[in-house]
Amino acid sequence: MKVIIVGCGRVGARLARQLDAEGHQVTVVDQLVSAFNRLGRDFGGNMIVGNCIDEAVLRRAGIEKADCFVSVTNGDNRNLMAAQIAQVFFKVPRVITRLYDPIRQSVYREMGLETFCPTSLGAELVRDYFLTGVNHGHEPADVDPSTAKVS
Amino acid sequence: MSAQGDPPYVIIVGGGKVGYHLARHLIERDYEVTLVEKDPVRAEWIEHQLGTVSVMVGDGDEMAFLATTGIERASVVIGATGDDEDNLVVCQLAKVKFNVPRTIARVNNPHNVAVFKALGVDAPVSATELLMGLIEAEMGSELVRGVAVKASGTCLVDLALPAVSGFVGKSIAEISLPKGGIIVCIVRAGRPVVPTPETVVEPGDELVVFSKLTDVAAVGEAVARG
Repeated sequence: MKVIIVGCGRVGARLARQLDAEGHQVTVVDQLVSAFNRLGRDFGGNMIVGNCIDEAVLRRAGIEKADCFVSVTNGDNRNLMAAQIAQVFFKVPRVITRLYDPIRQSVYREMGLETFCPTSLGAELVRDYFLTGVNHGHEPADVDPSTAKVS
Repeated sequence: MSAQGDPPYVIIVGGGKVGYHLARHLIERDYEVTLVEKDPVRAEWIEHQLGTVSVMVGDGDEMAFLATTGIERASVVIGATGDDEDNLVVCQLAKVKFNVPRTIARVNNPHNVAVFKALGVDAPVSATELLMGLIEAEMGSELVRGVAVKASGTCLVDLALPAVSGFVGKSIAEISLPKGGIIVCIVRAGRPVVPTPETVVEPGDELVVFSKLTDVAAVGEAVARG
């Protein structure tokens, strides 16, 4: 599938590398050239330098033919605007955006946007660990079966 | 919404140059204005300058904060910051969560005007686009004489016909200007003539044309080429 990722921070870069390694066609958009360093040397996708809330930049990134779009810049409003341009204006079939603010998340969810909120996910995760002793924050690969039962 | 007779209540988010002067202008016209500004120092300065206006320090795109501004009784909310994404979100929150009847956004990147419209902002205003139209009109043709700007993004221009013009001898009905420019008046020998479709253009006429500000240059060119 053709994927556009706006924001080449930790999340954006990690996702881009993963999808690229799995054989998907990935384009990453960021305002700073230096952000693309996070993608590493073996990244085979496209990199577009530009403002992700500029329609012309998104066109250059191939948004008209994209299957999936994710906005993970470090600004909630920026993510919201980019995601809405993708969903409403370019009719990208799958659009999801990161929002740090849970209140904004509930508003825009009502308006029909797919979102995820690391703030509430993180808080829930820690709460679960405190209450149940299970840490869902560890990736499966990080769990060493021999040391899994510390308590 | 404000009760009848009360001055309309306007909330302006962003106290930069645009927000500040807008607030001043609206207060002079007896609107009730609240200006929202993030930076406390800037907010204090504005309060000192304007005296009567209520300036609130806070994040215009935080729901909890917006609720404290009395936004549910506002007739207009204006996103006037220098960041398009912030102006968009303010307007959307105002519209969707607080049922504000009219939202206006300052659009900093002229590319975004259509996007703002599609995303539900009632009136996106691009100062850059307006300015570009004006400057282009000034550069494009020396025949463009006066430009009256209205808030709607439309204008009236006074276009003198060139010495030799294909328009001469044609009736108003036969002349079609690009992008819907309309000839609303002919200045003939210093006197206004209200044209009918049958009015025939004469040498030396000046055409007063109504058009979108962004299309002025194209209209001006068409008249210059005849």
